[in-house]
Amino acid sequence: MNTAREDILNALRGRVRRSESPPAPWQSRQHFDDPIARFADTLTSLYGEVIRATNADDALNRLGNVLTNLGATRVAVNDEPPLAGVDLAARWPDITWHIVGRTEGDLKSFCADADAGVTGAIAALAETGSIVVSSGPGRSRLVSLLPPVHIALVPVSCLTTDLLTWAAARAGEWPANVVAITGPSRTADIEQTTALGMHGPKRVIAILYGE
Amino acid sequence: MNEVSFHNFRVSAAQAIANAHLQSAIDGATLKFRNGRRAMLADLPDVEAMRDHFKAMRSATLAHLTDYLEQFECNARAAGAQVHWARDAAEAQQIVIGIARQHGAQLAVKAKSMTTEEIHLNAALAEAGITSVETDLGEWIVQLAAEAPAHIVVPALHKTRQQVAELFSREVGKPLSADDIPTLTAEARRALREKFLAAQIGISGANLGVAETGSIVLVTNEGNGRMVSSVPPVHVAVMGIEKLCPTWDDAAVWLELLARSSTGQPLSVYTTVLTGPARPDDPDGPRELHIVLYDGGRSRLIGTSYEEVLQCIRCGACLNHCPVYQEAGGHAYGHAYSGPIGAVLVPLLLGLEQYEALPHASSLCGACLEVCPARIDLPRMLLDLRAEEVTHGIIAPPEQAIEKSAAWLLRHRRLFNLLTDLGRVFQRPLVRHGGLWLPRRLNPAQERQLPSLAPRSFHDLWEELAAEEAAPAPVARRRLPSRRTTVTLAGLSLLPLALLWRLLRRKGGKRR
Repeated sequence: MNTAREDILNALRGRVRRSESPPAPWQSRQHFDDPIARFADTLTSLYGEVIRATNADDALNRLGNVLTNLGATRVAVNDEPPLAGVDLAARWPDITWHIVGRTEGDLKSFCADADAGVTGAIAALAETGSIVVSSGPGRSRLVSLLPPVHIALVPVSCLTTDLLTWAAARAGEWPANVVAITGPSRTADIEQTTALGMHGPKRVIAILYGE
Repeated sequence: MNEVSFHNFRVSAAQAIANAHLQSAIDGATLKFRNGRRAMLADLPDVEAMRDHFKAMRSATLAHLTDYLEQFECNARAAGAQVHWARDAAEAQQIVIGIARQHGAQLAVKAKSMTTEEIHLNAALAEAGITSVETDLGEWIVQLAAEAPAHIVVPALHKTRQQVAELFSREVGKPLSADDIPTLTAEARRALREKFLAAQIGISGANLGVAETGSIVLVTNEGNGRMVSSVPPVHVAVMGIEKLCPTWDDAAVWLELLARSSTGQPLSVYTTVLTGPARPDDPDGPRELHIVLYDGGRSRLIGTSYEEVLQCIRCGACLNHCPVYQEAGGHAYGHAYSGPIGAVLVPLLLGLEQYEALPHASSLCGACLEVCPARIDLPRMLLDLRAEEVTHGIIAPPEQAIEKSAAWLLRHRRLFNLLTDLGRVFQRPLVRHGGLWLPRRLNPAQERQLPSLAPRSFHDLWEELAAEEAAPAPVARRRLPSRRTTVTLAGLSLLPLALLWRLLRRKGGKRR
């Protein structure tokens, strides 16, 4: 008896159309004179929040303001730029930090109970107002997912036009988990009424820094 | 098996039409999606050319599907995923159950997925003693109510907030008010969060797979796709074999069009790309990723005139623009795939005999073709399926006999005239307010009127006009009806006959 794999592939093999070749890749025709403004406008229109900071240090100051305003006492943070190497506990001694890969204890239960999660970003997409995060050493999937607030520190240098330009330019292996985040978790499944924070964060705050 | 006969479809559609809440919910949701789609597509430069490109890409991918499937499998394995193949629903169910048992899983959390609806995975898991919880809010509501989804994208479209509050109150064991939707949502978040944290296995579909990297992509707004693929230690994704694209350039075009066409968003909130399970140095994530490549009748369609239907990306734009879906609602289609795409896909995958009414659930207005991101010619396939019903004898013998006699009768003018003249006389006791009275069995919703035969036939009137033409009036020639008027009049005169056929046909279909 053939395996399912052989059966399916054999059924298809007789029907391949060798003459039909794929079209040349589509290249993005999108252009923004001011990608920063487009990113901020789009993310804001999708219930996200954008804070502009001049540099990495300013971004950290603004992060501190946001956490203070939230009254956050438990914060999970990815060990990635621009947060890696910063002595968070010394800078904000009132907050209990869980630094991914450094702090002992169960990351999942900490995140499930945290007031906020802080990450960097590997890319940002101006067209759609998206923040792209990735898994990897020091980079948890749960920090940007389980807490009610996600704060992303996004360098302007990683801002690109759209998904097409980003996908075309990116090189190398894919990490196990990459997520383009476009605003807070939301649903409209009850009578078409928008409600935020269905499973993921209710608030997404991008602190965009640098030039 | 759900059988969607003509009678079943009409009864179910009549119920939907009589349901005022459902009608206003469908109107509201589809209008919002139509407006959102238009605005969001307008934001893409050269979007029409982009759609042409997308269609060519989807077609070329299906033309070489074996190559891409093998490439996808190879790259997914290289990234550490385990790839399984399933010929049919039973095989796919067994694979998922096997993985769950291997990990001693009693509780599974499920992200919204059409493919797992298609294979009735929840029922199979329940039979195997595994509790499977839908975690998309709409799917959860539908699951708690033990119903079927009413829309591809908005499954609980048909439920009122009061019904939802009742279902949730029962589930969480305390009374919840229907007045406050954010609170209802927060309760659902809390209840489902517990399930996510406790589940031993996460199950999802896949919106697409990328052959060059062996990645799968999950698209959700609530984050259920992220949760099932991040929190439990094992993740199983069931993907139709047609959901592949060759490269990341192609995937990006797909994603640029998907959410825009679907809900009128630039991208869905979460576009999750999964390439293998968690790496050894990842701080979290599933230790195992299983991808089930599911055929379920798809390979049979490759190379046929129906292959195009496999270019579908399940955006739901055709539902949102379909005048029949907007009245009949999703449940009339008897399957999770409803609307124009369901009317074509379901008979093709599951059998035209069982779903004989679906190819007729369309006015052939062509809106579905116009809005499809992949420009799938659904109207053509609906007609082809109707033709198949005739050639394969799916149309019942009595109906075939009636249609044959009607065709014969139309070729015999005098006999036709004689019969219609007789009809004019003998219809009298049945005429009510200018229409023919019909037994309820033939007109379950009592919303249709079959026009009675006109006092004079078009043929008669035409002869009179022709006579006047031959003897011109002294002052001015009477204007001849334009060609268009003639055609319209001819069409109108045939309408009663056509309607009579339809009714007889429905009667015939029901008798089988």
